[in-house]
Amino acid sequence: MKELIRALLAVLIVSFILIFIVFRLNSSQGYTSGNTLTIFNWGDYIDEDLIKQFEEETGIKVIYETFDSNEAMLTKIEQGGTAYDIAVPSEYIIDKMIQEDLLLPIDHSKLPNFQYLDSRFLDLPFDHGNKYSIPYFWGTVGILYNTKILGDRELTSWNDLWDPAFKNQILLVDSAREVLGMSLNSLGYSLNDKNKDHLQEAKEKIDALTPNIKAIVGDENRLLLQNEEAAIGLVWSGTAQEIMWENENVEYVIPEEGSNLWFDNMVIPKTAKNVEAAHAFINFMLDPEVAAQNTDYVGYSTPNKEALKFMDEEVVSDERFYPDEEMTSKLEVYENLGKRMLAHYNDLFLEFKMHTK
Amino acid sequence: MKKLSKLSTVYLVIMFFILYAPILYLMFYSFNSGGTMYHFEGFTLDWYKELFGDSRLLIIVLNTAIIALLSAAISTILGVAGALAIYYARRRRVKNTLLSLNNVLIVSPDVIIGASFLILFTMVGIKLGFISVLLAHIAFSVPIVVIMVLPKIEEMNTSMIYAALDLGASRWDVLTKVVLPYITPGIFAGFFMALTYSLDDFAVTFFVTGNGFTTLSVEIYSLARRGVSLNINALSTLLFIFTMLLVVGYYFITKRNNKPGRMGVR
Repeated sequence: MKELIRALLAVLIVSFILIFIVFRLNSSQGYTSGNTLTIFNWGDYIDEDLIKQFEEETGIKVIYETFDSNEAMLTKIEQGGTAYDIAVPSEYIIDKMIQEDLLLPIDHSKLPNFQYLDSRFLDLPFDHGNKYSIPYFWGTVGILYNTKILGDRELTSWNDLWDPAFKNQILLVDSAREVLGMSLNSLGYSLNDKNKDHLQEAKEKIDALTPNIKAIVGDENRLLLQNEEAAIGLVWSGTAQEIMWENENVEYVIPEEGSNLWFDNMVIPKTAKNVEAAHAFINFMLDPEVAAQNTDYVGYSTPNKEALKFMDEEVVSDERFYPDEEMTSKLEVYENLGKRMLAHYNDLFLEFKMHTK
Repeated sequence: MKKLSKLSTVYLVIMFFILYAPILYLMFYSFNSGGTMYHFEGFTLDWYKELFGDSRLLIIVLNTAIIALLSAAISTILGVAGALAIYYARRRRVKNTLLSLNNVLIVSPDVIIGASFLILFTMVGIKLGFISVLLAHIAFSVPIVVIMVLPKIEEMNTSMIYAALDLGASRWDVLTKVVLPYITPGIFAGFFMALTYSLDDFAVTFFVTGNGFTTLSVEIYSLARRGVSLNINALSTLLFIFTMLLVVGYYFITKRNNKPGRMGVR
C-alpha cells in the first residue's frame, strides 16, 4: 500500500512539474496574454518566419494549428468547441460553409492590400464578390511524369495517358472529381458536367485506362513519384512543385484540353474570437513582399499580382505554375454540384475503383 | 524449458528483424544530412537540434507526457476500484454482465469512441482541449486497467482474506494490508498499460483535440500528411527510446515485486 501511494505521489509530482514547465513555456511565448490569434491551416503551409514577423509587427500572439483534410477542418469548426480566428479551406468546401452559415463576412475596408490580388482569381462562383474568402494560394491539376523513365516521350494531353506504352505506370489520386474530371476533360466536356450520359461515357473511358494504372493513392503519391516508383502521376500543382524540388527528372504539364483550377482561401469562421486580429493577419499575408516570401517557401502559385515582382523571374515565368491567359481561360473552378450529383460522381468513381481491382 | 534449437533461434531472429526493421530504418535516416529517406548522405544531428529548438513541439511533447501520466494515474485508481467491484459482485450474472460491458469498451473501434466523445463533449459544453483529451483518455484506459488487475485478484487465495478477518482486521485493513499489496504487480501492469495506450493513442485524441492543444501522435500525423521531414524521424526515434525505457522500467518493477518474501502482508 505504501509503495502504491508513493508511486502515485511520484506520478502526480512529475505531472505537476511538467504542467509548470508548459505553463512557463506558454507564458514565455506569450500564449497566455489575451491578444492571440488562432490559425487553422494545412500542415507546413506557411513560412513560420512570417508568423514571427507578424507577431513582432502587431504584438498579437499566433497560435498555429494544422489540419490534414478539408473534411476534418469542417468537422472541427462545425461542432463549435473550437475558436479558430482564421481557417484555410479549399474552394469547394467554402460554398458549403457559406450555406451552413459558418463564416463571418470579411470587412474589405480593413484590407488595404486587397488591391494587389489578381482580378483573374477574384469574384469566382464559390464566393461572388469575395464576401467571405480571400485567396491564399491557387493551383492546377495536371500530369507529372518522369523523363528518366519515359525517355524523350513528352506528354501534353490527357489523352496521352491512354497510350498502351504506359502499362502499369500511372498513379491516380483517390478523389472522385479529379479522376472523373480528367476523363471529362479528355472527352472535351466540362469538369462540372451534369449530363449523366456524358458522365457514363467518362466513366467508361477511365475503365479503359485500367491496365495503365499502377495504384490509386492519397498523399503518399508524393513520395512514390519522388522515389521513381511510378513514371506518371495525376497530381496537384503544389505537389508537383514539391516533387520537382527533390527530384530533377520530373516534368509537370497542364494538359492542353484544360484542367481544374483550385484555390485555398483564408476565411474567418463564425466561432472566431479575435476578428480584428484576423483581418490584420489577412491583410499582412496580402502584402506583396510577405506573399512573395511565403510563396518561395510553400511553392504553390500565389494569386498576388504585385508579389510576382518580388519573386525570382525564373519562377514567375514558369508556365507550368503560372500559365498564361490563354491557358487559364481553359481552367475551370469546381462548382458545387449539389448533393445528388456529387453522390452520382462518387458512385461512378466507386464503380471504377471496383472495376480496377 | 528446453534450450532453443538452432533453427528456432534463426526463426526468432528473422521474425524480430522483420518486426523491428521499419523502426530501425526510420531511426537510421534521422541522422541523415541529406533530407530524404532514400539516400543517405552523411551523419548529422541537425534534426535533433531543430527538434529541441522548436518550443511549440516541446510543449506538445510535454503535453503528451502530462496527459499520459495523469490519465494513467486516475484510470488506475478507477480501474482498481472497478476490478474490486467486479470481484466482489455476488451474483454470477451481475459479474459477467459487468465484465462484458467492460470488454465491449476495449474491443469497440477507437474511431467510434472518439466520435461519440466529440458529440458528448459538444453537447455538455466542455471546451475541446486539455480537459476533453484527459477525460477521453481516462475513459478508454479504465477498462484496460480492469482487465490487467482482475486476474491478479482472481488468483488471490480467499483464505487470506478470511484469515485476516478472523484475526480482527477491519474491512479497510483487509483492503489496504492484504488485497492491495497482493495485487500491486497487477496495478503497476495496469498503470503502464494505460500509460502506453495514452501515449500512442491517435484516433480518439484526433476527435477531441482543439483550441491549440494537440498531442504528439496527432501532430506527427498532420505533419506526415504533407510529406515527411526528417525531424519526424528524430522525434519518433526519441519516442521509441522513451518507450523502450518504460518497458525496461516496467520489467524491473515487476521483477522486484516477484521476489519471494515481498508479497502479502507488509
